[in-house]
Amino acid sequence: MFAFDLAKWWYAKGWHVFFADFKTKLRDTTDTFSIGELVRTLFKPYKQIGTESKAGEPGLNIFLDKLISRIVGMASRLVLIVTGLVVILVEAILGIVITVIWPLVPLLPIAGIALTVIGVKLW
Amino acid sequence: MNFDHGSLRAREARAGKVLGAPAGFVLMILLVLILLGGGVALFVLKTPFFWLCLSGIVIVLMILYYTRKELVPVPAINDGEALNINNLLSNDMLAALPKNPTVRDLAAAVAKTNSGRFMHVRYGISPQMLAAIAEQLTVDVGPIFQTAIKIQQGTDSEEIHGAMVGVAIIANHPDNEMILKKMRLEMVDLLDGIIWFNYLNGLVKSIGKRRHTGGIGRDLSFGYIPTLEKYGQNISEQLPAKRTHIHLASHKEILSQMVEIFGSAGRQNVALIGPEGSGRTTIVQAFSELLMDADNDLPRGLKYRQIFKLDAASLISSSPERGDVEGLIMRVLGEAYAARNIIIWLENAQLFFEDGTGSIDITNLLLPILEAGKLRMILTMDRQRFLEISARKPSLANALNKIMVRPANQQETMKVMQDQAPLIEYQHKCSFTIWALKDAYRLSEKYVHDVEQPGRAITLLEAAANYADVRTRLVTAESVQEAVEKTAGVKVFSAGGASADDKSRLLNLEALLHERMVDQEEAVKTVSDALRRAAAGVRNEGKPIGTFLFLGPTGVGKTELAKALSEVYFGGEKHVIRLDMNEFVTAEDVSRLIADGAEDEMSLTAQVMKQPFAVVLLDEIEKAHPQVLTTLLQMLDEGILRDVRGREISFRDTIVIATSNAGAEMIRGMVGGANGGFMVGADGAATRKDFTTLKDNILNELMKSGVFKPEFINRFDEICLFKPLSPEDCLKVLDLLVVSVNKTLAPQKIAVSVDDDAKRLLVERGYDPQLGARPMKRIVTKTVENLVAKIMLSGQAESGATIRITREMIEGELGR
Repeated sequence: MFAFDLAKWWYAKGWHVFFADFKTKLRDTTDTFSIGELVRTLFKPYKQIGTESKAGEPGLNIFLDKLISRIVGMASRLVLIVTGLVVILVEAILGIVITVIWPLVPLLPIAGIALTVIGVKLW
Repeated sequence: MNFDHGSLRAREARAGKVLGAPAGFVLMILLVLILLGGGVALFVLKTPFFWLCLSGIVIVLMILYYTRKELVPVPAINDGEALNINNLLSNDMLAALPKNPTVRDLAAAVAKTNSGRFMHVRYGISPQMLAAIAEQLTVDVGPIFQTAIKIQQGTDSEEIHGAMVGVAIIANHPDNEMILKKMRLEMVDLLDGIIWFNYLNGLVKSIGKRRHTGGIGRDLSFGYIPTLEKYGQNISEQLPAKRTHIHLASHKEILSQMVEIFGSAGRQNVALIGPEGSGRTTIVQAFSELLMDADNDLPRGLKYRQIFKLDAASLISSSPERGDVEGLIMRVLGEAYAARNIIIWLENAQLFFEDGTGSIDITNLLLPILEAGKLRMILTMDRQRFLEISARKPSLANALNKIMVRPANQQETMKVMQDQAPLIEYQHKCSFTIWALKDAYRLSEKYVHDVEQPGRAITLLEAAANYADVRTRLVTAESVQEAVEKTAGVKVFSAGGASADDKSRLLNLEALLHERMVDQEEAVKTVSDALRRAAAGVRNEGKPIGTFLFLGPTGVGKTELAKALSEVYFGGEKHVIRLDMNEFVTAEDVSRLIADGAEDEMSLTAQVMKQPFAVVLLDEIEKAHPQVLTTLLQMLDEGILRDVRGREISFRDTIVIATSNAGAEMIRGMVGGANGGFMVGADGAATRKDFTTLKDNILNELMKSGVFKPEFINRFDEICLFKPLSPEDCLKVLDLLVVSVNKTLAPQKIAVSVDDDAKRLLVERGYDPQLGARPMKRIVTKTVENLVAKIMLSGQAESGATIRITREMIEGELGR
């Protein structure tokens, strides 16, 4: 009865549960790497450096300060965004693979027993 | 409505009980490791049995996943289908129920659940009690389940857990009201307990849930704030593991207002104005959590904004000169503005708007910032200080978006206590019962001052945790009472009534008072009756325990009765707060009467604040200025007096006694007679009717002559008339004085006895109808005490001896 309950759950609710967990995991990773926030502020000055107006300073200097700050900010954000996207990609591929093979998982033990009986060796 | 033992949920619950237990989990992990090791070995050995191990690992991992995601706990099915007990029963109840359960089985199953244990510890519903109730029920499980479903719907619960079934069993008992009354509970308390359990259960479930707080790159676009980090405290980084829950509807509304104010383009400041303890800090903490959670629906400009608390004292202490402090504050605020993600919180904001120790007036610096509205700021302060600042600096008050924070009511305070209880329990390793929470509210209303609800009750609850029962670590109503008694120095009668000792003392109060008092039966009885009413709870809780006006000539026992009362009722004469009202003869003296304790510790309000359980003795009340008497009216009427700071000081646990010699001549004239004493009846005693008539006549005279106004006289519960003492009374006074001398000599093991004819001589020489018992004290000192001293010094009395004082010895001292 337990095996039957497990199999029934696996092909119905279990599949949904796994998919929901997968989505949550992707959202958590997106939050960890602040992807949305970084994309939104991609061209903002790094740590607001160069944004303070200083009396008497030439306009070109201020412009250059801001420009450099924005470039540094963009670069640092891009590093984080790319790193985050790679992690998300790996997770996504893994999640999709498991979602696809999910229905096959309960068949693996049967296949294993069959392979044992047949006497299949890997090498 | 029947329980289906073979339903899918019941099967899953039983499986989950085994597999979800720590031992089951460890076993499965071990199995995986063994199979993995075996698989590797078989793989190396090139045998096809390797596939079997792999199959085993897959099976165990599937079971693990199934257990984690479905079996522990088995979720309730509450999707709008017809209500069915099999879909709604909680995991632990399902696992504990046998086939075809009886009501007794239900009671036994409840005891095995977490919620059942919760009701046992906090509400006293023990497994034995439930079993006994179940034994008496004639109904089967059907009606119990139906009641449980109603409770689940009524409490808006996700599932039917053990506590609900337990409450349903009690509710189905025909005498359930009586059962609960004996436990000082009502059905609504139990329903409240279910909601409390649901709340705690929800907290436990939320612990594993992740918060979306922005991640590692969140602050890259915000500025550096080194000075602010040094002198400020980042509230947003101190988010507690447990989320701050806002139970008060008014506080939820305040949070919405704050979001609206900071999310709009207007002045970016909020002034939270309310008394200490009303939850201003909790609101700011909840606001910081709200901003840091990406899942909340907020204006984009508010997301991930961080709140920094600024402390006036630390800013001042870090800068030696005033100019330095101003410069530092400007730097801090400048950084906060430039960073673009900071909200500054000025806790006790008044400290930034007035000069003094630990405070600095930087209004000129802050006002332009507040008016410009560019830098987001939260200011918290109490109402009185805000009114004072508003009066001095109206432009500042106008620049603020004011939000009033009102104190919580009883229901809200109970919810907040239920929320805070787990944290205090964790810190003190104890558990609170519902009676502890109820008494914490009740007693904090009386004895905790300076802070408002819910802070008052929480303060007391924290103190009570130190008085938990040592054996069970339970914090009960008695723990709360003990905390009040130890911290406030008062005596608390429990809601359940006085203790056996107290009861005995109260029943014999007259006899105990007469150990120090002679005669004055009427006054002693009146006072004793009032105290018994108070102890039994038959009194107006909104007034002092008793208010008495003692009228009579000097030396007849008015002050002595007050002292005797204090000793018998409060356990010592130190519980007398005595004020000579002849020191309050001008209207200006009112301010001295209600002065702040920091300025005058001997003011009436300061003394009662320190010692709320006392006899307040207002001597010679007739000499006080009418304005002073008017001030006292509220105290007599409502048991409250406001001090100069506007704080309400409770007199509701005091006995207020005002004494007066006014009308003493009238009393002597009216009661004086040929027998040198009182109007007497046929049996030689004054009758009650005579006494009442006499009292009315004297009061009328006093009111007519303007000594007291009728509204003042009417505020007293009782007016006690003290009659002049007769020579016979003085003989009894003399006996009491000799007892007192003997008490003094007791450590030296020497006793004194006075012959009867010596006593009569002392009364003959000492009695003065104008002065009552006072001369008796003097004459005893002059004769008996002097004689004893001489005998002891001459070595004529050794330890264990009794010194006999004869008439001749007295004559020798006084002369013939």
